[in-house]
Amino acid sequence: MKRSSSLMRLFGMAAVVGILVGACAPAATPTAAPANTQAPAPTAAPAATNTSAPAPTAAPAATEVPTTAPTAAPAATNTAAAPAFTGLKFAAPDCTYGGEMKSIEAVDQYTVKFTLCVPDPAFLSKVAFTTLGIGSKAFLDANGGDSLKMTAAPVGTGPYMVKEYVKGDHLTLVANPNYWGPAPTVKTLIFRWSTEAAQRLLELQSGTVDGITSPAPDDLAKVSADSTLKLYPYSNPNIFYIGMNNTIKPFDNEKVRQAVAMAIDKQHLVDNFYPPGSQIAEQFNPSTIVPGFSTTGDGATWYKYDPAAAKKLLADAGFPNGFDVTLSFRPAVRVYVPQVAQVAQDIQAQLAQIGIKATLKQEVSGPFLQAVSAGKEQMFLLGWGMDYPDATDFFDTHFAGGLKNFGTQWPDIIKEIQAGAQTADPAVRQQHYDMVNALLKQHVPMIPVAHGAAAEAFKASVGGVVIGPVNENFQQMTTASGQLVFDQNAEPISLWCGDESDGETIRACNQLYDPLLNYKFGGTDLIPGLAEKWDASPDAMSFTFHLRQGVKFSNGAAFDANDVVATYDAQWDTKSPNHKGNQGTFDYWTGLFTQFLNPPPKSN
Amino acid sequence: MTQFLLRRLVLVLPVLVGILFVSFALARLIPGDPCYVALGEHATKEVCDAFRLRFGLNDPILVQFVRYATQVLQGNFGASIRSQRPVLDIVLERLPMTIEVTIGAMLFSTIVGITLGIVSAVRQNSAIDVVTMIGANIGVSMPVFWLGLLLAYVFALTFKGTPLWIPPSGRLTSGLILPPLTDTFHLTNLSGPAYALVTLASNTVTFNALITGHFEIFRDAIWHLILPCAAVGTIPLSITARMTRSSMLEVLGQDYVRTARAKGLRERVVVLKHALQNALLPIVTIVGLSFGGLLSGAVLTETVFALPGVGTQLVTAILAYDYPVVQAFTVIIALIYVAVNLIVDISYAYLDPRIRLQ
Repeated sequence: MKRSSSLMRLFGMAAVVGILVGACAPAATPTAAPANTQAPAPTAAPAATNTSAPAPTAAPAATEVPTTAPTAAPAATNTAAAPAFTGLKFAAPDCTYGGEMKSIEAVDQYTVKFTLCVPDPAFLSKVAFTTLGIGSKAFLDANGGDSLKMTAAPVGTGPYMVKEYVKGDHLTLVANPNYWGPAPTVKTLIFRWSTEAAQRLLELQSGTVDGITSPAPDDLAKVSADSTLKLYPYSNPNIFYIGMNNTIKPFDNEKVRQAVAMAIDKQHLVDNFYPPGSQIAEQFNPSTIVPGFSTTGDGATWYKYDPAAAKKLLADAGFPNGFDVTLSFRPAVRVYVPQVAQVAQDIQAQLAQIGIKATLKQEVSGPFLQAVSAGKEQMFLLGWGMDYPDATDFFDTHFAGGLKNFGTQWPDIIKEIQAGAQTADPAVRQQHYDMVNALLKQHVPMIPVAHGAAAEAFKASVGGVVIGPVNENFQQMTTASGQLVFDQNAEPISLWCGDESDGETIRACNQLYDPLLNYKFGGTDLIPGLAEKWDASPDAMSFTFHLRQGVKFSNGAAFDANDVVATYDAQWDTKSPNHKGNQGTFDYWTGLFTQFLNPPPKSN
Repeated sequence: MTQFLLRRLVLVLPVLVGILFVSFALARLIPGDPCYVALGEHATKEVCDAFRLRFGLNDPILVQFVRYATQVLQGNFGASIRSQRPVLDIVLERLPMTIEVTIGAMLFSTIVGITLGIVSAVRQNSAIDVVTMIGANIGVSMPVFWLGLLLAYVFALTFKGTPLWIPPSGRLTSGLILPPLTDTFHLTNLSGPAYALVTLASNTVTFNALITGHFEIFRDAIWHLILPCAAVGTIPLSITARMTRSSMLEVLGQDYVRTARAKGLRERVVVLKHALQNALLPIVTIVGLSFGGLLSGAVLTETVFALPGVGTQLVTAILAYDYPVVQAFTVIIALIYVAVNLIVDISYAYLDPRIRLQ
């Protein structure tokens, strides 16, 4: 839910950016162009061009040639047979369509090259995301990219494969005999689901499941006290903040916003309304996201809690007796704020100490988010959960994308954020982000309050458990029987994640598919996935991945570079025959890479 | 009898039309926009427009209703907005679980309830009678979800490690796999009603396990059904016991019972044949009516015991504004009601010949 909620915000932002960019671009180019035409001579193709000609010898231009490479066998001695590899390439005619991706190309059987329209230092983090897990091209083609059909018998390269899926009840996975990595220690992994946290805990306590997700905050102490169980809190990069709109008085006055920033006792909030492991937020960006999190400079720490100084500053700003304000929120339980109503009441009491009379306004989630996005809320409580581990996921979406949440955005913040997003050198990026954090502290569009902690619980007898913000190491865990039953919040929506966004589906897909890179268990460090090595150009506009050789899908088919290209194209190009998915929205694609190729026409 | 049956069946037709209309209207009365629920709070207007077009949500309501009614009459409930799966498949997956719990609870409540009622009536004012009636009062007062949690806590946690331990949830022990009937009997290319029936039978785990000789799985399934059936069956049990007692007491005081006793018949014959058969009429009514309670109780019970039945699916579908699924399950549940009422009517006629002649 957290992922979904934050993703939707990202998706909304991406759409806004897309609309803006689209409005500035020559209108007819992307929409009128034929898509992915299979053509022997693709040089003149106006839109994405899938070049699949057999012979590369006469190709005129490197970027548009059919890419052909020999198979693994030496060409001189290979008289018998291995068919020549014909690499796929998909390319946008130019970058006016508003997206980040310019071309995706199978340079040879085991090399894939991505060329971008804009620098993206976060690209490697993005390609490790589960929705970009690689599927088999043949399987995609056979099913037309239809999530429903592919869910019936998923084909991936992950550590597990589906043995039985009783819809509504459970999903049984078994170790994939073709897996390229170490064989899973848990041979049978069963997912069950229950929406009730109390029910999940009861199952764990009674022994019918081995692990559960998201125990209720009230139950954490109970789990910790039970010697047969073990709690695994983990860092979940997120931020809960108090937003203020600088177009609504009196928050147009920077001193007022700074005064409010000094009046919030974050430690009190975290101590009273958050589970163990949660931290007060000194910055908007969580500490695990580097570059992004500042350890030096003005932005490294937030204003100290000082109601007296706050009151004085408020008087300096012309409000010696405080003022009335409406503090709005939605009653949604999120990792970043598990008890929002109580938190709202506490903030109301804290504001009263400096003379600010806050009226609490609880709203239905959808209308609340719409009002916040439209810049209609004076003061509000909201948060953000990480989609991918990069500062752009936090900064760009909130302070540089044209959002009206905080009113009119600050040009100096936008400038530094954009510079940070398009700089490849981590040290230089950090310098830009140090400036961003300092400017956020100066302008106070919001008050960062807390980074909420999340937890999972397992039987104490389950060994080798490592839980991180983006995955669990089921394949490395140990149980006496070699079977592990995990109870999660909800049933996966499908077993093809390109067009899904909920955490439960993503957890299942993590077991079935591999992206090019993986996040190391327990963290967000990047490790090889289907790509053994990778090269990034210094300007962060070109990335080349060298794939593992000899990898097979769970159905025995061989994996190569075309599978990667086909998987990406199915999500990128709306005119791809495989661009079907589930709802066909492919939220994460636009969240990660801004825009589809051949985006659907906009209605009035 | 045939005339009676025909009359009852004809009366069912307007009810069916009403069901179709009400289920359609109810689904649309859920406040909110299915697009934003299915695609997320930040779905753009363009995406939502395409979504509504795809599911025909922009058409006039009457057009939507006629399309829906036509499809349903052809046995087509459409596809789920959320998962894109055919709704019929979802119904065939979920219905068996609810049927199993409901039938289990019916058997439990009827057999135990009638037995306790008879004993209480025959031994009126004895200790057994008093205890039974106090128990019935407590049973009828307990909310299903609370009783469910209590049973799960006692049998799954308190009795953990003892032979009395009963699993608190689920349909089968994790790891047990019951092959579908299509695999067991090598049935291929099924379609239409045959497909629906075989799938329904296949997903009815107890039935499937029994006819395919998977007795271990059958035992396991029954074991998992104990707590949900007990939870959902307790209220109707209490009502049945009380109704049986009062009905029996009334009948036991009739002249023909005295005559039967005077003829020298054994007490067992007097009670079970002469008295019980005449006392059954109100009991059958109560049992029929309580079927509705069992179905609605299933929503709570399935949530408490994490069972993949109609109740949990209906709640999920309502929260997701999944109109086709909500409509289909509303229709199915209403049809079950109609069928049960029909069976009750028929059993009246069987039990009381006077009704056949009316």
